[in-house]
Amino acid sequence: MQKKLNRSYDSLEEMYEVTERFFLNEDVEPSIRFPVHFVMEELFTNMVKYHPDNSNDILLAINTTDGAVTVSMTDYDVDAFDVTVDRNINTDAPLEERTPGGLGIHLIHKMVDSLEYDYADRCSTITFTKGLNA
Amino acid sequence: MFQIDFGDNGEIICCGRLDAAQCEKAQAFMDEIADLQTLDFAELEYISSAGLGVLLKTQKRLVGSGGGLKIINVNNHIHDVFHYSGFHTIFDIEKPGG
Repeated sequence: MQKKLNRSYDSLEEMYEVTERFFLNEDVEPSIRFPVHFVMEELFTNMVKYHPDNSNDILLAINTTDGAVTVSMTDYDVDAFDVTVDRNINTDAPLEERTPGGLGIHLIHKMVDSLEYDYADRCSTITFTKGLNA
Repeated sequence: MFQIDFGDNGEIICCGRLDAAQCEKAQAFMDEIADLQTLDFAELEYISSAGLGVLLKTQKRLVGSGGGLKIINVNNHIHDVFHYSGFHTIFDIEKPGG
């Protein structure tokens, strides 16, 4: 399944709905759907947040093969941002040392089974997998 | 869809999906509360890292004035998000049934 999404937080609901329909058709367990939705939304939100003036749609592709959900998100005419690099968030920090933001990439790393980043010709493609039996 | 409002017993009821598109609405509500508050997540299906930011900002403000947030009826998925974020060390969190 492929879907072009307008670069807006308002597209989050559409992304959730089309993906949820795909999961239901593919009989994907709820325990898998939550982390996949979560990672997709974090990636999409980052793409919107860091390139708000870009007029290109964001391409979402999702399929189930080899016992896993594979999701690919492609962003066109953007600067590089490698989401596979660990940002070393201290999740043991006390409340007074914490500031909002920065948790998204850390949580993505916790929830996926694999995460790949490709950047060429100002095009970013992020691909992640989540095992169907995780 | 995301809804936030006070329940019959003064607790704050959150319903639906707290994603990046809904954080402004959530933050506007949370900016008006004070003291010790209970958030009931029984009907909250989803929270993103942006939603965590709303909780963190509110907790820092409330704790700074002697209050704080207690979060109850947290589903397993959101509980995992809290655990991965280390939020279980800075919030009073309860799963359904205590």
